[in-house]
This record gives sequence, C-alpha cells and structure tokens, in this order.
Amino acid sequence: MNTLIFLRDAFAGRKLATAGFLWLCLIVVAAIIAPLVAPFDPLEIDPVGRLTEPGWPNLFGTDHFGRDTFSRAIYGARMTVIIGVGSVLVALFCGGLIGMISAYFTRLGHFLMRAVDVLMAFPALLMALVLITLLERSVVNTVLVIGIVYATTTARILFGMTLKLKGETFIDAAVCSGAGNSSILFRHILPNLLSPLLVQASFIFAFAQLQAAALDFLGLGLPPEVPSWGNMLSEERIYITRAPWLLIYPGMLIVVSVFSMNLVGDALRDSIDPRFKDDIAGV
Amino acid sequence: MALLEVENLEIAVSTQRNLLPVVQGVSFTVDENETLGIVGESGCGKSLTSLAIMGLLGTSPVRITGGSIHFDGMNLLALSERERRAIMGNRMAMIFQEPMTSLNPVYRIGDQIVENLRQHQNLSHAAARDRSVELLSLVRIPDPSERIDSFPHQMSGGQRQRVMIAMALSCDPKLLIADEPTTALDVTVQKEVLDLMADLQSRMGTAIVLISHDLGVIAETCDKVAVMYRGKIAEAASTADLFAELLHPYTRGLLNSIPVVDRDVEWLEAIPGRVPTLEETLTGCAFQPRCELATELCACEAPQTTQFKPGHSVQCHFAGQDRS
Amino acid sequence: MLAYTVKRLFTLIPTLLAASILVFLFVHLIPGDPAAILLGDTATPEEIAQLSAEMGFDRPLWIQYFLWLGNVLQGDLGISIFFREPVLAVIGSGAETSILLASMTMFWIILIGLPIGVLSATKHGTWVDQITSSGAMLAASMPTFWLGLYLIMIFSVTLGWFPSSGFPSLSDDGGITNLRYLILPSLTLAAPNAALIVRLVRASMLDVAREDHVRTARAKGLHPARVTIKHVFRNALIAVAAAFGFTFAALISEAVVTETVFSLPGIGRLVVQSILRRDYPVIQGVILVIVVLYMIINLLVDLAYARLDPRVSLK
Repeated sequence: MNTLIFLRDAFAGRKLATAGFLWLCLIVVAAIIAPLVAPFDPLEIDPVGRLTEPGWPNLFGTDHFGRDTFSRAIYGARMTVIIGVGSVLVALFCGGLIGMISAYFTRLGHFLMRAVDVLMAFPALLMALVLITLLERSVVNTVLVIGIVYATTTARILFGMTLKLKGETFIDAAVCSGAGNSSILFRHILPNLLSPLLVQASFIFAFAQLQAAALDFLGLGLPPEVPSWGNMLSEERIYITRAPWLLIYPGMLIVVSVFSMNLVGDALRDSIDPRFKDDIAGV
Repeated sequence: MALLEVENLEIAVSTQRNLLPVVQGVSFTVDENETLGIVGESGCGKSLTSLAIMGLLGTSPVRITGGSIHFDGMNLLALSERERRAIMGNRMAMIFQEPMTSLNPVYRIGDQIVENLRQHQNLSHAAARDRSVELLSLVRIPDPSERIDSFPHQMSGGQRQRVMIAMALSCDPKLLIADEPTTALDVTVQKEVLDLMADLQSRMGTAIVLISHDLGVIAETCDKVAVMYRGKIAEAASTADLFAELLHPYTRGLLNSIPVVDRDVEWLEAIPGRVPTLEETLTGCAFQPRCELATELCACEAPQTTQFKPGHSVQCHFAGQDRS
Repeated sequence: MLAYTVKRLFTLIPTLLAASILVFLFVHLIPGDPAAILLGDTATPEEIAQLSAEMGFDRPLWIQYFLWLGNVLQGDLGISIFFREPVLAVIGSGAETSILLASMTMFWIILIGLPIGVLSATKHGTWVDQITSSGAMLAASMPTFWLGLYLIMIFSVTLGWFPSSGFPSLSDDGGITNLRYLILPSLTLAAPNAALIVRLVRASMLDVAREDHVRTARAKGLHPARVTIKHVFRNALIAVAAAFGFTFAALISEAVVTETVFSLPGIGRLVVQSILRRDYPVIQGVILVIVVLYMIINLLVDLAYARLDPRVSLK
C-alpha cells in the first residue's frame, strides 16, 4: 500500500515519466502473452520471403533468413524482461546482502568492502567480458554476469545507506528492546531501504539492457538463435543500407525502453528520502 | 528625508494556485547613524523584508507586490537591474545568519573581499588586497596579513562573521543590513560581534537594520524597534519608549519569555498557541487566537495602525490594556 | 601535494595486488591444463612441458603466483598464441589508437558536455532545460554500437565526409590528417558520456545555487553571469570531477564496442578478438594493463579533486 502511494506521488505531474512507465507495462504484457500476439513463429525460416519490406502481413518486414521481424521483436520483449528482472534480482540479492552485512558487522564488513573495491577496479563491461570467457553463451549466464557486475555498485550503495540508518535512534531503540541482529537488519533496516532499492533497481534494469545489447553485438551475449533486440541488431547489421528497417525497429525498441526505465528511475529518485538521493548514481 | 524609507511594503509568495501575502503594509524609516531593530518569531516576514530592501528576492517565487522602498532619495523598486547591482555591496551591504556557509568554501577569504572591492571601486588587485588587510584588522582579525590567505573552513564561526562584516563594510556602505548576525554564534562571541558592529557604526556613521528574534539583543543595540507579527508591524517605537510601555500583548509575551537573571520566577511564560499559517485567511487580528485580551471585535476586525503616543505606534484594539 | 600523491600511491598497492591475484587466477579457472591453455591448440607436448616447468605449474598455486608476478614486474606478460609475439608488444601496437581515441573523446565530452550542462542549469525549469536534459537522457539510453552504425551510414556512406573504418597510424601517410578516421568513433563514444556530464553538471549546479554563499555573491552586486561561472559552476566542478573516474570506466568499456564497430586497431578490439580467438595470454595481459591504468586515472581524479576543493585535507 505504501509502495502504491509512493509510486503515485513519484509520477504525479510527470507526463514523460508516466508515459515511460506505461511503455514498460506494455513491454511486460507483450513478454507474457508473446505467443498469443505474435503473428508468426519467430524462428521460422522462409527462404523465399527474405528481406521483405515492412507491410502486410510482415508489419516490420523480414530478415535475411525470412523470419518475421515483428514476431521476433515481440519475443525480444521477453528477453528484455528476463535480462532486466534477472540481473536486478542477482545484483540486489548479492550486492544488497553484502552491503548490509558489511555495514552491520564492521570487522567482516571491512574485509568484504575491500573485496568489493577490488572488483570495482574492473570497468563494468570488461568484467562482464572476463566472466563470459569462463562461461558458455546462454541466457542464464548472461543474466548472472550482468547481475554480478552491478552487484558491486549495489553493495557499495547499500553499505553507505545502512551505515546512515545504523546511527539512527530507532535502531538503538530496537537494540535496547532486545531485537536480534537478523531482526534489526531485515525488520528494521531493510523496510526503510525498499524505496531507494527500487530506484537502484530501475537504473540497473536500464544499464543491463545496454550491457546485454553490447554483449550480443560483440557475439559474446545470448546464443545467436535467441530472438533478442540486441541479437537482431547484431545479426542484421550488414543490411543497414539494403534493409534499414531491420536495424531501426529493434534499435528504437531498445532506446525507448532504456529511456523509459531511466525516466522512471529519475522520477522515483526525486521522491525518495533526500538522505539517500546522492547515494544512487543514475543517468 | 531619511536614508531608508519603506512604505506600505507588500510581499507575497506565488504558489501554483494563488498569491499568499507574507508581508503586509510594512512601513519604517532609518536615518544615518541609526540602528533599527526588527524583531519577531521565525516566519514573521522579517528576513523577507530585509531581502526585499537588499534586492535579493531575485528569481525566487517571492515577490514584492506593493509599496515602495526609497534609499538615499532613490526609488529602489524603479531602478534597473544594473543600477540596483551598483548599489548592492557598495552603498548598501548585508551580512547573513549563517557565517559557516555564507562564504564560498573554494576561495581564500582575501579574494572574496577583493572581489567585492574591485566590483565597485577602480582599484588594482594589489591596492584592493592592501585595503582588505586593513579591513580585516578593522574587524579585529589577528594577523590579518596572514589570515587573508586562509580558506573559510580554516576559521571559526565568529571569525567568519567578522570576515563577512569586513566584506560588507569594504565600500563604506551607508546602510548595513544584518539578518540575525549572531544567532548561530556562541553567546560570548555574540557579544563581541555586536560590540564590533556598534563600534564600527560610531566610527563610520553607518545606518544599521538589525533583524533578530531576540528582544534582548535588540534592547542592547538598537535606537528603535519594530515588532513584527505574521507579516505586519505590531508595534514600533524608540527602544526607550517601547520598553517603558509595552502596548501590544504580543510584545509583552515576547519579553516575558526571556529569562531574566535578577528576577525570581517559577516558570517562564510562553506565548500559548501558534502563528496562523499563511494559507489560513483571517478576518480579524492575526494574534487574536493566542491573545488573552481577545474579544469578539478582535476576531471580526483587523486593528489599524494607531499612534498611541508620538513616535509609538501599535496595531491593537486594546493597546496598553492589561488582563484585568 | 607530492607527499599526498606518494601516500595515495602506497594505498593503491594492496588493491593492485588483490586485482593481480584475480587476473592470475583467471587462467586457472578455465578448465584444463594451464600450460596447454596458454600455448593454444597447436602446441606440442614438449612445449607444454617446457612452459609448465618455467611457470612452475607443477608447484603450489602461491608459488606460481609469485613466479608470474615476478615476470609481470619485468614486463613479461607471456606470448600471444595467435600472434606468436610477446603480449606486451601486441598491447603496445594498439596503444596509439586507443590513447588518441580516448583523448579525442574526452575533448568532445568537455567541449559538448560542460556548456550544455551550464545552459541547462541556468535555464532551469524552462523549455531549454527540458529539451537539453531529456535529450541528454535519451543520448545516454542509446546502445553505442547502434549510434555508431548510423553515424557511419549517414556521414561515411551517404555524405562521404569521413572514412568509415580503420585507422592508419599518425606516422603513416597523411600524418595528422589521419585523425579524421577517429572523428566518428570519438563522437560515438562521447555521446553517452557527454550526456552523463550534462546531467551531472546540471544537478550539481542546481545544488550549489541553493547554497548560502551564492546569496553572498549576489549581495556583492556581481553580474549574474559572473555569479554563475565563478561561484556556482566553479563549486559544481568539485562534484563533476569526482564523477570523472566513473566516466573513464564507462569510456574503457564502451571503447571495446566502438573500436569493434569502426574496426579500429586499438586495445578494445584486441580484447574482443582475443576472447573469440581464445588467446588467453593476451586477455590476461590486457585486463591487467587496463586495471592498472584505471587505478592510475582514479588517482589523478582524486588529485584533481583535492586541487578543486581546498577543504579536502592533503595530509
């Protein structure tokens, strides 16, 4: 209920951010009901109908295998949601746990945060590339790699925010009333961090899309047969002049979705507790 | 003609829906070499009045909606931006409540004084620097020729307020506006800063408008006093007259809430209730909900300013009357 | 300042050592005999046995680490499987392109990002601000390779203003004019990063504009432009400088993609190609070099930060 009020206040009077939020809802719906709305099988190859221009029945045209671009784009929404939600969960779970525990148990925390610092010495995409080298190309591995990369920044952020909260009187009060460590961490500190976490999640969601697209482009992301917007761009890039629609549609989908996520994150950030505002670096 | 004449000043905050008046019909004058104290609770409009005189309301949603401000014969509200800027920091200067944050942390204090000097006077950098050292010694900063190269964070709050005073006085202003200059300082330092201001005034003949919430500070330093309550002047008189006879129940309340060392009291009287918010429209006197003298008249009709005695004006239906 | 720099250099050592352990372990995390991995598929059993002995692969892991670290400190990062050349030389051959690309990109970021950020902040709340700050967010939401592909299509293929790929060294024919090969790549790389700087300059200028000392500056009767530049922008630079380290990290990451789009012979493309070629010694070497470089840049950013903000104690 509180979250609903928080969302309503965050979007009040922000038309662009509201439009972004609605767009993201549309993506999620498309991802769920993809088999119902996609007119064709996204993997079905048609040697005769290669590189058809957009029109009827191929709304977005066909690619160089004769696959329907519109259907592939709808299935691509699935990958967008899976990559986004997956990496957000991995990043928030690993990073959040490390950050909170480090702030709470200072001695262990000192060691853990030094480890996080070391990992942060690797620029994001480079770290993803190193991890990818050790793993097979698969959806799960892509999610894991991107999630782990952003777990480091999340750990840093949560560390800072938990430290701030730890000094508050209501935590002292909880300690005095005999609350145990896990109760303090999860019942007193965590609820106060939920809305900042939501902001961080929306930025990670946006970054993850760009990273995943970059990995796809480099041929190191999702397996090539998976219909993702990044793979569509990567596979069809040599047709940029002959069949421009093959790059415009998936590209625009990525841009609009990432832009929407950034707008949403920005709107949410403006309405969270001002103490935490500067902790979260978004766009 | 007085140096500063404020007449019927009206200031309002523009919100999304309408204009909320925050200062209404405020008038006073200040002569050369004179100190006017403006006293009142926070939010009564005293700081906004001072910012309006200085010309610092700027682009904020607060704007002057009526009245006039004359300074040295000029109608300030009719001047162009440019002409106004030529006065600011030059013939009229201001010091602020927050000495800790009022100086730019990235520049040396000397450079900040030099900046003010060179803005208004045709001085070489070296000459402006020499003058700055003089000013620092004038405000009793020890080792001025060394301290001039300090950064603000290397100085204490009291020292920073002295630097602010030095900067404000750098172009020999005719009027100095001091908005709660000592509120953020330790009590001992407060006294030093106030003494310094009084001393400089007697030497330079500067007129001072001193804004404070502390009637004690006002009583010690000012020639005359205006008591503000919710955007209006409740009572105004020379300091001697005011303390000889407190006419407005609000002024009395303010005085009773100050602890006095040589009087033995069980408890300090606080003024009951709270100031009505700006959104509340009032038909009667703004102090009526908190006033022990209030009658039906006070609730229905706002009192006009009346001259109780020559030089002692008050806005109250029952000015000077007691509880009994 | 010097003492502070030296002290900061020392604090880097533990992080560097930890990072080097990770880079070292990288080869050992790949399943298989490390000597065979480092030598590639074409290696003979004798070669494998020789390298194994040299690197001490039959000895405990920590001894192997120190042997490897000793080699690294002498500049020996191993031999590339693909090029059959020392890794350091392979990396060195990409350095010119990457350094020039990074410098040109920084040039654009500062030239485009700072003024637009100042404009956006001074016009705060107007349509100018809305367009510039949403435009910046849009630019930061674009996949770099997609932008690069379209820049190639418009400015190389259609208009023919700039070459579309490759980069001959400045010492080749054409000399300094060869920089035209880097104009499109550097603009591609600059776009999202300049956008971040625009948003950052705007946000921190709006924060500073609310501070008390800005009111003092206005009370001096200074011209509004002078207040904006000398008091607001100057103080906002502190926060911007602090974020420049992140910009550089983003730059390194995105350079990998951009160099691939424009087929530039730089270190970024070397990483991708080495991964696709399974040229592990090169991957290991490049990562080590980039991590060291990134730490040095962060140190420089800290020093710049200390210069910009006198409140930062240099002790």
